Amino acid sequence: MDVIVCLKQVPDTETKIKINPEGTGIVTEGIKYVMNPYDEYAVEEALKIKEKFGGTVTIISMGPARVVDAIRNALAMGADEGVHLNDPAFEGSDSFTTAKILSKVIKDMKYDLILTGKQAMDFDCSQVFGCLAELLELPYVSVVTGLEISADGKTAIAKRETEGGVEEIIQMPLPAVVAAQKGLNEPRYASLPGIMKAKKKVIKEINLTTLGMTASEVGEAGSKMKTKNFQLPPERKAGKKIEGEPPEAVKEIVRMLHDEAKLI
Amino acid sequence: MEITREIFWNVGSWVRWPVYGLGLLVVIIFILGLVKRFRLWRIGKPDIRNDQILKRIGTVLSYGLFHKRILKEPYPGIMHLFIFWGFLFLLIGTALIFLQEDFTRLIFDKVFIQGSFYLTFSFILDLFGLMAIIGVLLAAFRRYILKPERLDNKLEDAFGLLLIFLVLVTGFTNEGLRIAVTRPEFERYSFVGWEISKIFSSSEQAIASLKTAHVVCWWFHVLLAFTFIGYVAYSKLIHLITSPLNQFFRSLTPQGEIKPIPDIENQETFGVAKLQDFTWKQLLDTDACTRCGRCQDNCPAHLSGKPLSPKKVIQDLRNHLNQSAGNLKKQGGGQEETVPIGGNVILEDELWACTTCAACQEACPVFVQVIDKVVDLRRYLVLMESKFSPEVKLFFKNMETNSNPWTIGFATRADWAKDLNLKNLSENKEVEYLLWVGCSGSFDERNRKVSRSLVSLLQKAGVSFGILGSEEMCCGETARRMGNEYLAQILMQQNIELFSNYGIKKIITLCPHCFNTFKNEYHQFGGNYRVFHYSELLLNLYQEGKLKWKTGIEMKAAYHDSCYLGRHNGIYNAPRMLLNSLPDTKVVEMKRNRAKSFCCGAGGGRMWMEETLGKRINQLRVEQIAATGASVVATACPYCLTMLEDGIKEKGLEKGLSVLDITEILDKAC
Repeated sequence: MDVIVCLKQVPDTETKIKINPEGTGIVTEGIKYVMNPYDEYAVEEALKIKEKFGGTVTIISMGPARVVDAIRNALAMGADEGVHLNDPAFEGSDSFTTAKILSKVIKDMKYDLILTGKQAMDFDCSQVFGCLAELLELPYVSVVTGLEISADGKTAIAKRETEGGVEEIIQMPLPAVVAAQKGLNEPRYASLPGIMKAKKKVIKEINLTTLGMTASEVGEAGSKMKTKNFQLPPERKAGKKIEGEPPEAVKEIVRMLHDEAKLI
Repeated sequence: MEITREIFWNVGSWVRWPVYGLGLLVVIIFILGLVKRFRLWRIGKPDIRNDQILKRIGTVLSYGLFHKRILKEPYPGIMHLFIFWGFLFLLIGTALIFLQEDFTRLIFDKVFIQGSFYLTFSFILDLFGLMAIIGVLLAAFRRYILKPERLDNKLEDAFGLLLIFLVLVTGFTNEGLRIAVTRPEFERYSFVGWEISKIFSSSEQAIASLKTAHVVCWWFHVLLAFTFIGYVAYSKLIHLITSPLNQFFRSLTPQGEIKPIPDIENQETFGVAKLQDFTWKQLLDTDACTRCGRCQDNCPAHLSGKPLSPKKVIQDLRNHLNQSAGNLKKQGGGQEETVPIGGNVILEDELWACTTCAACQEACPVFVQVIDKVVDLRRYLVLMESKFSPEVKLFFKNMETNSNPWTIGFATRADWAKDLNLKNLSENKEVEYLLWVGCSGSFDERNRKVSRSLVSLLQKAGVSFGILGSEEMCCGETARRMGNEYLAQILMQQNIELFSNYGIKKIITLCPHCFNTFKNEYHQFGGNYRVFHYSELLLNLYQEGKLKWKTGIEMKAAYHDSCYLGRHNGIYNAPRMLLNSLPDTKVVEMKRNRAKSFCCGAGGGRMWMEETLGKRINQLRVEQIAATGASVVATACPYCLTMLEDGIKEKGLEKGLSVLDITEILDKAC
C-alpha cells in the first residue's frame, strides 16, 4: 500500500492572532507554526497502514520554506518521502487552486490512498480534499474516525461522523481520498532515531517550473476566491456571576433567562 | 606463672598445616567469587571515579568505619556497629596471633602476646566478641520478631546470621573449655570465657572429656570461620567488600546533576536498554545494596502505595545481572539481551512513579544511586520507544511548541508583569541580575502572585534586575527528568545562547528546579553562571539591611523543604532564617524535615502526570503538615505550592491551613 498524505503547516492553535494594519492578512511575526493537528491523524493512519501492509508513505505539503519543519516532523514519525511545493507564485492560492496544484503532482505518482486532515486549523475551509478527489476522479470520505483496508488492498471501509451523532459506514474502492477526524487514532511521538533519520532525508522541492504550470494558473491570480479584508471576531462579552445562596441564585437565573434572554 | 596462653593448646601445633591448606583453599574460593562479580561490573560502560582520592578515602572512613549514616537510625545503627566493630577487633586479634605464631615466634622465637598486653588483649577481644554476639541477637530479634516492613527475609539472611552467631559462640566455648582445664587465675580478664568455664566441671575425670570436646569444638570453630570467609563472596555478605568500594567510588558531583547523553546528535541508541548500557559503577551499585530498606522507608512513591521501591529496583537489577551472568559478554560481542530492562525487568509504572526527590539516596548508607538509573531507563522508553502516557506526550508537545508545560501561547509568558513596570533585557541589559521567572511563575495563576511578591521585594531592596519577557523559555529541567534528553538539550542550548547574547552572569530563580538545572547542569553545555535561589538572595539582602520588616506577621508556620532546594542543593537554612527573622512568626518543624523531608509529589515530571496508583503524595504531606498544628505552610517552590494547595483542598482543610510562598509572607511584612 502506497499512501500519500497531504498536510498543511498552520499557526499553533494557541497563537494570539493579530490582523495587520492594512487588514490584508495576519501578522506572521512571532507565530509558531505546527503541523495541522487533523493532518497528524492522517500521518498516523498512513503509518499504521504501512506497518500492516508494507509500502511507502509520502508527505506532500505546500507553502514557504518553513513548511519543511512540518514535513520533517512527519518524516520523523516514520514517513518515507517528502515533497515540498515551494514557489512564491503559489502564495494566496484558494482551496480549489491548492487542490489543482496537488492533483498535478499526485496524478503522476503511484498510490493506493490519499489521506489528509478534515480541515486545516487556520482558515478552516475544509475544501481541498473534496476538490482534490474531484480533480483526480476519486471517491472521497471526510470526517473519518475509523478506517479499515481490505486484506487485498482493493477496498476500504470508513466510519464517519455526521451531525446529530449518527455514524455512517462507507465502503469505497481504492484509491480514494480520506479526510481524518480526531479520534481516528492517537498520533505517535517521533522517536529520537526517527528524528535523526528524518534530518538526513532529502525532501523533493517542486516549484512552478518543475510543476509545469504558469503563474496565472496558481496563487491569487489562479484563484476564484479573493480575500477582501481580515477582521477579528467581535470580543465576547464577559459572563455573569450570580452570587448568593443556591435558592436565591436559582431564582435570579430563572428571572434572567425569562426577562433578559427571553429564553423561557 | 607466665601470663600468656599456648595458642595451639590441646590441638597440637601440627594443626597449623591443615589449617594453612584449608585457609589457602578458602582464600582462593573467596577471590574467585570476587573476580566473578568484578567481571560482571566490567560489562558496564566506563566512568571515571578515581579523582579526589582523599575525599573518597574520607567517605569510607566516616560512612564506613564510623557509620555516619548507619547510626542515623539508633536500633539498626547500633546493631550493625556492634557486629561490625566486634568482628573488626576479632579480625585484628586473629591477625596478631597469626603474626606471633607464624612469624615472630617461628623465626625469632619472640612471643609478644603476653603479660599485661595479653590481659588487655584478652579483655578487649572478649568485650568485642560479646558486642558482636549482642549485635547478632539484636539483628535476629529485629528481623524475626519485630519484622519491620522494609526487611524481606531470604534464606541467606538466616544462614548468614546463624553462621556469624556460631562462629562467635564456638570461639567463646573454646576459650571456656580451655580455661576450665587450665584454670589460670589471670584468665579472669577473658571475662566471657571465664564465665563459660564455670559451666564445666573441672574434676580430674572430666578433664579428659573436656579436652576431647575442646578438640571437636576447635575444629568446628575453624571450619565455621572458613565457611564464613568463603561464603562472604557468594552472598549478601559481599557487602563487606562492595559497600566500602561503593562508598569510595561514590558520585562526588552535585546530587541534583543528571549526566547528559553526550554528543546526542551522533548516537544510535539512547538511554539504557540492557545491562551493558549502564556504567560499571551503576552495576556495582546493585552489588553494594544490602537490602536494608532505608530507601523505601523514605520513598514517597513507596509510602503512598505505588509500585516503586528503590530497594526493589536495585535488587531487580541485581537479580537480572545474576541471571544474565552466563551469557554476558563485553559490549559488542556475545549474546545480546532481547528485551529492554525498562518495561520488563523494571516496569513502566515503577519508572514513572519516581519523583526524583532523592530521599532514598540521602538515606542509603552506601551511596547507592537510584535517580540516575530511573532517568536512564526513562530515556530509553521516551527516546527510543516513545512509550509514555498521553499527559507526558502533551507535555512534550507543549514544550516543543510553546516552551512551557501548558497549552498556552509563548507570547503571553510575561503577561503577569504587564503592570509592574519591569524592563525586559531586550530593552535594557545593563542590569546586575536576570530574574528567571520560570514556567509556573509566568503562567500559573497562583504562582504569578509569587512572582509579583518577589519582584516587589527585589524592588524594595533596590536590586538591579531584568526579565527576559516572552524570550524566556522553559529551563529544560522537567523534560530532562522525564527522559526526554533531546528536548531538554534543545531548550538548554537555546537558553545558553540567549544568556550569552545578553551577557548574563548572575541569575535569580523563583523555582528550585530551574535553580538546580542552571547551577548544576548548564555547565555541561558551556553555561556557567552565578545562580541564586531567591531565598539565598533575600537572606543576604536582609542581613545587609537592604530589606527591613515593618511589621511582624503573627502566625504559626511550618516550612516545607523543597527537594531540589534541600536535598539536591543543601539549602535548608536560608528559608528558615528568613521566616524566623519575622517578628511574631513562629516556625515549627514537621516530623519529616530537612534531609528527611517528604516530597510534595511533583518532582521528576510527576507534576504533569496523573496520579492514579496508591494514595496521593501531596495528601500524605498535608497530613504531616496538619499534625504540627500550623496555620500556614510556607514553601519556596512553585511545584510544592501547587501540590500542597491542592492537597489541602482535597482534604477539606482550607479553613485552618493555607499555603504561602515565603516571598508572599515577607512582602506582607515589608
